Amino acid sequence: MLILVTCLFLFITALALVILRVTQPDARYAWLVASGGAALAFVSVFIWLVQMPFQLTLPAWKPESLFSTPILFSADGISWAFAIGIAALTLSILLTAVTRPVFANSLSWAGILTLGGMGILAVTANNPLTLLLMWAFLDITELLSQLISVNGEKNSERAVISFATRMLGIGLLLWAYIESLANGSMVVFQSMPSDTGIFLVLAAGLRLGVLPLHLPYAADSSLRRGFGTALRLIGAVSSLSVLGHIQIASTGFTPILMILASVAAIYGGWMWLRAPDELNGRPYWMIGIAALAVLSALSGNPIAAAAWGCAIILVGGALFLSSIPDVRLSRALLVGSWSLSSLPFSLTGGAWAGNLSFTAVFALATQALMMAGFVRHALRTSGTESLEDQPSWAKAAYPAGILLLLVTQIILGFIGWDGARQTGNLILALLASVLTLGLVWGTRRFRIFNPVRAHWVTTTGAGVNSLYQWLWSLYRGLARLAQSITEALEGEGGIMWTLLFLILFISIIVQGIQ
Amino acid sequence: MSAPFLWIVLPFIAGALILFLLSEKNSAYIGGAISIILALIALLIPIDTALLLGSVSIKISPAIQFFGRSFELSTADGPLLAVIYGLAALWFFGTEASSTAHRFVSLGLMIIALLTASIAVEPFLYAALILEMAAMLVVPLLIPLYQRPGRGVVRFIIYQTLAMPFILFSGWMLAGVEASPGDVSTIIQSGVMLSMGFAFLFAVFPLYNWIPQLMEETPPYATGFLLWALPTFTVIFALGFLDRYTWLRNTPQIADAILFSGVIMTATGGIFGALQRHLGRILGYAAIAEAGLLLLALGLRSFDLVNIVFLTLIPRGLELSVWALALSIIKRKAYPLKFSDVQGLARKYPVAVGALVIAHLSVAGFPLLAGFPSRLALWQELSVQSLAASFWVFLGLLGLLIAAVRTLAAFVMAGEDSKWEMNESWTQAAMLGVGVLGIFLLGIFPQVLQPFLSSLPALFEHLVQ
Repeated sequence: MLILVTCLFLFITALALVILRVTQPDARYAWLVASGGAALAFVSVFIWLVQMPFQLTLPAWKPESLFSTPILFSADGISWAFAIGIAALTLSILLTAVTRPVFANSLSWAGILTLGGMGILAVTANNPLTLLLMWAFLDITELLSQLISVNGEKNSERAVISFATRMLGIGLLLWAYIESLANGSMVVFQSMPSDTGIFLVLAAGLRLGVLPLHLPYAADSSLRRGFGTALRLIGAVSSLSVLGHIQIASTGFTPILMILASVAAIYGGWMWLRAPDELNGRPYWMIGIAALAVLSALSGNPIAAAAWGCAIILVGGALFLSSIPDVRLSRALLVGSWSLSSLPFSLTGGAWAGNLSFTAVFALATQALMMAGFVRHALRTSGTESLEDQPSWAKAAYPAGILLLLVTQIILGFIGWDGARQTGNLILALLASVLTLGLVWGTRRFRIFNPVRAHWVTTTGAGVNSLYQWLWSLYRGLARLAQSITEALEGEGGIMWTLLFLILFISIIVQGIQ
Repeated sequence: MSAPFLWIVLPFIAGALILFLLSEKNSAYIGGAISIILALIALLIPIDTALLLGSVSIKISPAIQFFGRSFELSTADGPLLAVIYGLAALWFFGTEASSTAHRFVSLGLMIIALLTASIAVEPFLYAALILEMAAMLVVPLLIPLYQRPGRGVVRFIIYQTLAMPFILFSGWMLAGVEASPGDVSTIIQSGVMLSMGFAFLFAVFPLYNWIPQLMEETPPYATGFLLWALPTFTVIFALGFLDRYTWLRNTPQIADAILFSGVIMTATGGIFGALQRHLGRILGYAAIAEAGLLLLALGLRSFDLVNIVFLTLIPRGLELSVWALALSIIKRKAYPLKFSDVQGLARKYPVAVGALVIAHLSVAGFPLLAGFPSRLALWQELSVQSLAASFWVFLGLLGLLIAAVRTLAAFVMAGEDSKWEMNESWTQAAMLGVGVLGIFLLGIFPQVLQPFLSSLPALFEHLVQ
């Protein structure tokens, strides 16, 4: 029930904003309503801790004999961490919205609150059916937002391709579900057959651009801070949440996936380190951290996967929402590097508990690249927005929004979920930290570590996607073949061809039956 | 008043009157209203049960005789009639928005009346004849008077006509099978005859090539109606066969053959759909894949077979009507509906394009949309019987998803300076909006169909035991 309470705070607030927009377009307290609702939702997630673990089951689909799996949400030691991350991000976006040019856009805030609510439902989804519905909602929302906001053929096409890859992820989750259904039992993540776990990893990896490596998001999208951050990060964390719920059994296919994830991790880390700014680097941030989460899941450490998922939203959220050059806040952002360090009692303290085997080197390198990149972006001094002309409450709200995410990271290191108070592997954590320091030192001295220009990033993205040109050629070949068959069947001699095919078809069926 | 008069004779006469007496605009509203009223009567007033309204007693008698044949509609038929006429109303109201009202509504009403007669006729084998009559009545719906019919139309009528003798022969033989159940050769012969008849009726692989051709040659809305109506009644006809003949139900080879045909239809429909570049043909292949799903459901060895069939059939009417309406609106701007013709149209016709893509995704089984629950139910049963068959069905639906993505990509690839505008009329936008809302509603709360689904299995009592 508490899950519903939190989500209702967000949904009702969103509805109130829409009503306000229609009835009183110039209402000055819309921001207060939005922030108030988000704050209530944030506090309510803490109340979950009193009752955890608990479940929420929605009325079953009917006829019940056809739908054995209910729509089920569960608050446990993993989903709580994701939920608090999403609630914190939602509140933080609204608090920092005081600096945005779209300050008066209450519809955008309604969208953020709805996304937050759906995100919380997605991360608490306890079976594939529930997660399928949540993913579908988030994907349709993202597609619509992208299509409305982008211009030009290329950008529109990229939005559709991005939707298509996430749709394939949905397909893989669906197939894992179908395989589980073949066993004939009610399916929750914990009871799914071990061999379906690999499909879940592939589904999450595909949605995040890790398996196989691709850029699901356009770096030059006009959806930047605010709504864009909510859309990107909540979408990513809802994809990653599935990895925190399952223990992946090792199969013959696992090493291949680990190699692919390692390649994605290194690529994401390197590009993140060299990105011209944090918003252009955001796709690489997500690929890099998501690849670490996938590697953790494949190495049998779902808690680490969840920790990296929380890092995406909390550490990344704080950085992407910082738009005002402020030395004190920039230094405070360095708490994020602590959260990424996997040192004891940090957010990612349990990151090195799994058996990463030969990929440990790549994971370590990626972690260092991500941390170094984070430090570089956090300490930048450029920024286009200012608090100078804002009223005093706005001057207080903005830093509060950033600090909220930083404090939540620290809290998650100590309480509330299965990954809290982890001491992990101190040696590897220290090694990552030393490497990071070396990279930070190097970025100021060696040209190779210097930021690249934005257009270069785009070109590289296209280069990575060249793999898909081969798939496109295959598709065109198949289309030509289909065209030939269609012409034969629909042409003058079509009926004769059809009868011939029919005889063949019947003989195949007869053979099959025998 | 008798039920066959109410749901067969009355709409048939109404159709004829609309053709000769009403203007185009009025015919959509009158036809839609008649269908709605008939659906509500079917839903609210039980057949063959006396109702007292004050001092007046009303009773709808179940049967009439016509040329020595009986037409019977029982109480159990009520929900089915409500569904059929409810969905038909949706199609008829849509004609106003698609500007195809006049002949469509009148012929449509007559076709629905004939198809309803195919459910009611006894001996039920005569349904094959009535289905053939309905198919013939479809022809003037598809092509204007004095226009030479295209190849698709000709093949459609050839295949539907070929189905009739096979079904009638099989019916004659089935009587022999019932008399001597041990006669294996008669069983095989009648089984082959029946299979051939239904293969033509269902347009199984490779007999379906007239569907994409038809979608290319004829108005999408009329063809969409045909692709909804004929398979719907063919499925009910097939369910009647399975329900009546125990040996058909209990022969695993026959169930396997139906299942296998369904799998091939779904897989080939989806895969060929993914490789098309014409929006009409894509709709045709999607309809083929969905008919394959219906066939697949018929081949399941499950007591939930009837539930799954109707769970697939009801949203199908909504999806196809929305899709066909959107396509007919777009066709006026982008003839002949190739990808190159529709590029960037999302910014000119956002409602039509959005509705088309949503309907397409729904047919492909995208979660949250009307088609998803029925696919899920189907997989739940099918995966237990054969994971390989489930995979091929999955592949077919994946093909439809790819087609949806390609369609969407073509629609949204507008130039830099292209502005968002809405060129649909308010009627069109409202019809499509209601349809899309319905698709989401059925996808999120499929239990709204439960009042129908709980009653429909009573029509086929042997199949649910």
